[in-house]
Amino acid sequence: MIFLFNRTSAHQRIWPAALCAVTFCLFVVTALLYGWETNNRALLSESVTTSGWVAYQAQLEYVKADDAMKRAAVRPDADALADLGLRLEILRSRLPLLHASEDGRMLPEIDALAPMLQRFETVLDGMIDALPALEQSVAPKEPVLKAWSAALSPLGRDLQSVLMASVAYNDALFARERSLAGQTTLLPLGLLFLSGSALVSLMWLRGRRDRERLLEVETARRAVCEMERNLLGVIQAAPTAMLVLDPLERAVRFINPAAAEMVHPSPGHPDWKRLIDTSLEEVQIGDDGGMVVRIAFTKSGGDVVSLKGSLSPVMWEGRPQMLMVLIDNTRTRDADLQLIQAAKLATLGEMATAIAHELNQPLAVIRMAVANAHRHLGAEDARDAVAAKLDRVTLQVNRAKRIIDQVRRYGRQPSGKAASFPLRPTLELAAGFVAEQYRACGIRLALQLDVPGDLSIVGDRDLLEHVIVNLLINARDAFELRALARPRTVWLRARVLDQKVLVEVEDMAGGISEEVMAHLFEPFSTTKPAGAGAGLGLSLARSVVRDMNGHIVAENMRNGACFTLLLPITGPPAAREAA
Amino acid sequence: MSDDHSILICDDEADLAGELGEFFTACGWRAIVHVGAPDALEALHAGASPTCLLTDLRVGHFSGAELVAATRRLPAHLQPRVYCLMTGHVLDTSEAKDFGVDLLYVKPIDPDMVLNDIQKFLADAYSP
Repeated sequence: MIFLFNRTSAHQRIWPAALCAVTFCLFVVTALLYGWETNNRALLSESVTTSGWVAYQAQLEYVKADDAMKRAAVRPDADALADLGLRLEILRSRLPLLHASEDGRMLPEIDALAPMLQRFETVLDGMIDALPALEQSVAPKEPVLKAWSAALSPLGRDLQSVLMASVAYNDALFARERSLAGQTTLLPLGLLFLSGSALVSLMWLRGRRDRERLLEVETARRAVCEMERNLLGVIQAAPTAMLVLDPLERAVRFINPAAAEMVHPSPGHPDWKRLIDTSLEEVQIGDDGGMVVRIAFTKSGGDVVSLKGSLSPVMWEGRPQMLMVLIDNTRTRDADLQLIQAAKLATLGEMATAIAHELNQPLAVIRMAVANAHRHLGAEDARDAVAAKLDRVTLQVNRAKRIIDQVRRYGRQPSGKAASFPLRPTLELAAGFVAEQYRACGIRLALQLDVPGDLSIVGDRDLLEHVIVNLLINARDAFELRALARPRTVWLRARVLDQKVLVEVEDMAGGISEEVMAHLFEPFSTTKPAGAGAGLGLSLARSVVRDMNGHIVAENMRNGACFTLLLPITGPPAAREAA
Repeated sequence: MSDDHSILICDDEADLAGELGEFFTACGWRAIVHVGAPDALEALHAGASPTCLLTDLRVGHFSGAELVAATRRLPAHLQPRVYCLMTGHVLDTSEAKDFGVDLLYVKPIDPDMVLNDIQKFLADAYSP
């Protein structure tokens, strides 16, 4: 049975349930049996108690009455006659009891004598009624009393036979009681034993299951303890900084050696609170729904490090805490930024001719305005004309300044620090930066910026501008590489989509081949001629967009390629709500 | 400087075109200013017959070189006597003949020098 219990969990559930049911049934049967037996015993006791007693009393009273009658016949004085009257009345009262008793109902002998008894009741009534007259009579009383005794003699015989029948009935009852007593001793005991056995089995099973569960719990607890020790060992040995923090109190509960080396060995040091505050303010939701952190942290010594990591809710020492895993990606970040800077400078180099042309335009106007101003100087009414020329010169100088500022801004080293910035002006600056090139190449740059001017996103503004410029230059190069008759148009679009902003750069330059598309965002993937690009632009673009918690994808649409950037919106709140 | 001389100026930079026109007008030339090559070509077709055509290389989608080429296909009496091209691009080894013009300038230009060159070219080309 135990073997069966061990087979399956279904058996483990069925057998205790079956035992419970059997035990319950046994208890019910035992209780019913006990009730039935108790009832029987009560009936028997009552029967034994009453059986024969009435017959005996009637017989006894008959004997007493007959005796009183005989004594009155010998000496018929008033006392003897009074005693006789009393005995006759008692005997008279016993007769109805006899056939109305339990025996009267149960024994056929008594039932058959009922008419006779009723007749003697009438006889006794007559004697009782005649006794006062007999007492007053002066005639001899002995013959009368002897006649009465003879008249009652059959009653005596019948009562004797009734008594014998009752005694026989009583013997049968005793025999039945003994039989029942013999039967009822074993059955309830057996049932009680079975019930007890079932209960013991049930308790044993429960105990066994509890012991097994306890063992499982203990084993699991030991495994958890072992795992915790191993995990702690891994955490301690990990080269990655790990710390457990209390998000409510903004306090550090645990740091591993790498974290201690990165920030400070003491979890109570103010640098930790500064790091936690910065991290919790900058926390963002990553692609997988987890919390990611990217911060620039200034160490006590003044060094600025770029930290990247994640936050996860954990139970630590019985309390809900946050596990923060941080890696110092300063070197990687610096390398990326240097690479991006190199790419930007390369772009600037490629655009030098266009920039020179763009700068020459205001210079040409200035040169001509100055020349004409000189001619006006000799005239009498030269003041207004010269002033107009100077105004024109000023406007053109400002125009040249804007171009130089644009180049300077584009060429500066990216900070790598994320901050909130408006998207639309950034896109407009990027478009403005390549506008002259597009004009020179006969490519129309169509802007469809359906976003509010103050819609903000988080990231490095210079890097995003570089990404857009890079995509626009790629679109220009795609047209230049192919002699296409179709309209040379590139669209730069922006629109809000589900709490995010969608930025698209779409051209009509024939699209990207499947082979190139498969590796488009991998480093050194390029379709440009040797020397025209290192193939890092799109790889860096993806890196920049990912750092902004965004996505960049490319697909062929209509007659060209479309690059789509999906970036999270950070502000303003009104714009987010509207979105 | 002669009243007989006229110049058709074509540059999509309106301020520059206007200043050039003002300069040549001040020098006694009849100046016709256009900011688009199609307009300039239409004027030539209409019989503007300028002495000189001065155009920017990049004038919108219709380039200055295309304007020169189209002008050269006009009847002889409608063609200018001297073709000048100016550009904001840095030119290393390019020469005027590479663009099918008589004179080539890089912006910003010296208007006095341009005027002298045109006059000299006219004098050399049409002297008896």
